[in-house]
Amino acid sequence: MADTKITRRAFVGGSLAAGSLAFLAACGQKGAPAGGGSAAGGAAAGGTLNYYISNPVCIDPYNVQETQGTQVCLQLFDALTTYDAEKEELKGLAAESWEANDDATEFTFHLVKGAKFHNGDPVDAESFKRAWTRVVNPKSAVATAYAPSEVSYHLSVIEGYDALSKGDTDEFTGVTAKDDTTLVVKLSAPYADFAFIASHPALSPVPEAAESDAKAYYLAPIGNGPFKMDGSWEDGQQINLVRNEDYYGEKAKLDGIHFAIFKDVETAYKEFQAGNLDVTDVPVAQIDAAKSERGESKDGYTMAEGQHMLLGGEPSTYYLTLNNAAEPFNNPDLRKGVSYAINRAAICETLFKGTRTPADGIIPPGIEGYTEGAWEFAAYDVDKANEYLDKVAPMKDGSRGISLTLSYNQDGGHKEIMESIIGDLAKVGVDVSSDTPEWGALLDQYADGNYEFGRLGWVADYPIMDNFLYPLFHTDSIGGDNKSQYSNPEVDQLITEARSTVDAQERVKKMKEADAKIAADCPIIPIMFYTHVIAGSDRVKHLYIDPQQHAWLGTAELSA
Amino acid sequence: MSSIEPSSQQRSGMAAKAETSGGAEVRPSRTLWGDAFKRLKRNKLAIAAIVWILFVVLVALTADLWAQQWLGSPTASDSTLLAQNALLAPGGEHPFGTDALGRDILVRVIYGARVSLSVGIMATAISTIIGLVMGALAGFYGGIWDTIIMRAADIFLAFPYVLFVVSMIAVIGRSLTNVFIAIGILGWPSIARVFRSAILTVKENDYVDAARAMGASDTRIIARHIFPNSVASIVVYATMNIGGAILTESALSFLGMGVVPPTPSWGSMIQDGQAYLTTAPWMMIMPGLAILSTVLAFTLLGDGLRDALDVKMKDA
Amino acid sequence: MGRYILKRVLQFIPVFLGVTLILFALQNIVPGDPIQLIGGEKALPPETELQLRVKYNLVKADENGDAVLDDNGDPIPTSTWERYTTYMGNLLKGDLGSSYQRKLPVTEIFAQKYPYTIKLALCAIVLEAIVGIGAGIISAVKRYSFWDILVTLSTSVLVAVPAFWLGMLLQLVFGVMLKVMPISGAGSASSPYQDWMHYILPAITLASVSTAYAARIMRSQLLDVMNQDYIRTAKAKGLSNRAIIWKHALKNALIPVVTYIGVDFGAMLSGAILTETVFNWPGIGYEIYRAISSRDWPIVMGGVTLVVLVVMIVNLLVDVSYAFLDPRIRFDRSSKSN
Repeated sequence: MADTKITRRAFVGGSLAAGSLAFLAACGQKGAPAGGGSAAGGAAAGGTLNYYISNPVCIDPYNVQETQGTQVCLQLFDALTTYDAEKEELKGLAAESWEANDDATEFTFHLVKGAKFHNGDPVDAESFKRAWTRVVNPKSAVATAYAPSEVSYHLSVIEGYDALSKGDTDEFTGVTAKDDTTLVVKLSAPYADFAFIASHPALSPVPEAAESDAKAYYLAPIGNGPFKMDGSWEDGQQINLVRNEDYYGEKAKLDGIHFAIFKDVETAYKEFQAGNLDVTDVPVAQIDAAKSERGESKDGYTMAEGQHMLLGGEPSTYYLTLNNAAEPFNNPDLRKGVSYAINRAAICETLFKGTRTPADGIIPPGIEGYTEGAWEFAAYDVDKANEYLDKVAPMKDGSRGISLTLSYNQDGGHKEIMESIIGDLAKVGVDVSSDTPEWGALLDQYADGNYEFGRLGWVADYPIMDNFLYPLFHTDSIGGDNKSQYSNPEVDQLITEARSTVDAQERVKKMKEADAKIAADCPIIPIMFYTHVIAGSDRVKHLYIDPQQHAWLGTAELSA
Repeated sequence: MSSIEPSSQQRSGMAAKAETSGGAEVRPSRTLWGDAFKRLKRNKLAIAAIVWILFVVLVALTADLWAQQWLGSPTASDSTLLAQNALLAPGGEHPFGTDALGRDILVRVIYGARVSLSVGIMATAISTIIGLVMGALAGFYGGIWDTIIMRAADIFLAFPYVLFVVSMIAVIGRSLTNVFIAIGILGWPSIARVFRSAILTVKENDYVDAARAMGASDTRIIARHIFPNSVASIVVYATMNIGGAILTESALSFLGMGVVPPTPSWGSMIQDGQAYLTTAPWMMIMPGLAILSTVLAFTLLGDGLRDALDVKMKDA
Repeated sequence: MGRYILKRVLQFIPVFLGVTLILFALQNIVPGDPIQLIGGEKALPPETELQLRVKYNLVKADENGDAVLDDNGDPIPTSTWERYTTYMGNLLKGDLGSSYQRKLPVTEIFAQKYPYTIKLALCAIVLEAIVGIGAGIISAVKRYSFWDILVTLSTSVLVAVPAFWLGMLLQLVFGVMLKVMPISGAGSASSPYQDWMHYILPAITLASVSTAYAARIMRSQLLDVMNQDYIRTAKAKGLSNRAIIWKHALKNALIPVVTYIGVDFGAMLSGAILTETVFNWPGIGYEIYRAISSRDWPIVMGGVTLVVLVVMIVNLLVDVSYAFLDPRIRFDRSSKSN
């Protein structure tokens, strides 16, 4: 990046009057062959895309987790598979093909031949084994230098996970590099959707450099993706990527990506308005203005000329968690009554300007197996609410004498949503008071079951039903993500059966059965499905951002 | 006085001290207050400040009688009317405009005054009481008391101020009471230092020795001789401290660590407005003006009191 | 003088121990488990939680780095005292631990952030010294003139402005409306403005209040000094007003102002949470603030320790320089520590 800066300074110093776009283009030209024009030259073909992210937790695949790190990691790395949300199918990426055995306990991946890392090392089966081992092993070079991975659970279905994660061994026994291009994965229990897990960027391959120089690698990972690092991650400032000219697939059109790091979306949007960013999230306050100004995209995921505002749904659900294990929410009638009383549409329309959709179940649209109106009780119906609540306590003088405590953290815009819900419940005679600890303290309360009801969101790691139903409702997940402490042996059984069903359709059917059983108990209250609200500048000619908010920058284009 | 950065109140304490340096020597005169009042009356700015403070207090106290009928609720919003009510520019029915939830900003500013004034006064009262006790112990008894208390004050002053308040709120939880407790407790060192040095000065005087020779108890000496002779600097300091505490509260609320919503506070209103800086700037401008005018009034009053009470400055 | 400095440096020790102990006590009192916070809405699996607790010395571990379990198979938490002594031991070796949330070594995080805080503080302090002292002199010399009233009024207003609000107004006017200044950040390759321009608005915001104080102190000190006997004598001797001010009054009047500015510089070096928040400035103030809310104790510990040390050293330097400026003060005489 250093040379870019010099160019820029010299350039800006030379002619202050020049527009920002011109010099940005000049910046982007850096990758062009020498002699290809002085700093003052015109617009380059590819150009550099300025993309807003907040500071990532990690961009090294071993610990990549939230949207920001994932976004960067996806451009640098190709995992085995990728989910094509447009075609609703799982595609090979670093793997050409794969197959499972009959009881879904062994997966064999066949890798693309001749693929190389950015440093020229071959992408072979061993590089996957190396990568996965370093994710799980708490004594790997990177875990020692920084911290053990927090996303090793992705690999917990693989044989040998427990021994490796305890630090008893250095060998990941379930992962075998049969030859250079054949990776065999043995699972400890059937998991037919494993190929979906393999699409997670945390499971990307790494070259030997990741082990030998863990610290440098952590800040400037060497991957096998369409872009490579230009310099290192400048914490809180920026991450720069340039096109990988030796990419095995179709090469990127952009010359590079400048991930500009800002603390919050308001700041980022101000920068966007000032013309310094090409892609940014949009704060709620600006949605209406942005919609008319930027032009809504037709499908909500693809930017094109005059359609620079993306409002696509995401596989994530905002819900109220109810403590099923204790008074008063161990009473299903109360759970159902409360659920019926909440006006979800009002929240979505007024507070989120229609950019979120009322939830009619825990599974959001876009996940295979989503059914409209899957949860009977996830709807707004005051009459039915009163009907169920009458069973709990009859109404006297506008009150039922039920008082509940709603626990939530008031930052992040949750305050308004919760106030709206409290208002709805007051209308059906239920008094709710707020308990607003800080986020950290709230998590303690949830984990200890020390709450009545509270708010949570669930963002799927992989776009499959399993990733909602198992963590949120399986008995084994109590103490983990199953904060409502819901337990139903029938549901457990169905989920287990689904996991060993290799046939995709059969599997989804089983999951839907489990979902229906959960719905009948109403252990939690789904409120709304998330939507991403992303705006692009006029420079963006084409950009696809899928429902998981993964930007497909390898195919993105800027207008000249 | 500024609550801006970590050591805000300390800095103001220092500034107040530096500005009045030498002024701690207040003339022990029975006509002090009478003189002071005459001088204060001549200070137009101070009079304007008093008028403004009284006005704000009056508005805050009587708000329940008229504000809601005129401007609507400061907290509740009607979701069915949101579309036509939200983010209206100042004018007509809404002199200060409305916020994102369609609530009138003027009525929120009015109710916000309650928060700001009560924090300003209560926090100052707490700091003053703790500061006086600590300052008295340190200044009067000296020795080990002085060492311990002044080292404790050093620790308090060395600790980044806003961080201290924030951690304290994290421990004791969020509520109006806790906000002024936190601000109050953390404000004691500067007032303790002011009082301590006032005592050190007064203590040297002959009449204190005389009183002691006549067998007066320590408490009596402090109450009858030292306190009355330091009260001028304390009054000046406390007046200015009210403004400082108001600023600190607004900073805390701005950081989302202040009063629990939906209670409006000037600082949290500015925070709400931050997101609408480009589309509805009045959301942040109006509460900011309220803070500015009120804190300014306390500063000017403090200045006026200082000039009026400060013997040394009188001749200048 | 040597003894005085030594004494002051020794006084650092109890203050330093006090601050670190308070911070360790806070870790136990403040609700919220930092390890759970790492996972957030998604709970960490128990094996990962345990690995992290071992890594951060929150549970006892054997020499292989494996957790020691009690009879029930549960890990044994380390006591506050054990953690404190380990921390202080590592501190002596220059190791401040690693951030829970960000994984980076605390020293590395501050090595990256602190230059931004220092540079901003330098800009602000230069502004404060020039404008504050200048305005104070003008207003004292031309007492009761238009300029005096202007300075007096505008300093009163500045002192009453919440600086974060002033910062937002500046953003609104110069960044959004006029588009002549960058709105936020410390400058980067994507910014159309040169790096130095990024310092202007934050420096003004950071310096605003203390500039006002500096001007007020300067004014009152100068007026004060000019009333003293030796100045009167000088006047009586027929020296010109200008000569009196520049040769005699100013030197003495400057001392408290320089002290104030010096101490203020120390305060600025401890980071500016609000200015940094408003301007998205990558300094240490916001970093420490963020760390408190996410219970990222190693950053809080390291940051506050660093800040406290810097503040104490700057204050000591200010006091020492005071002695050089003012010949009347001799610290070696029996102490009247004030």
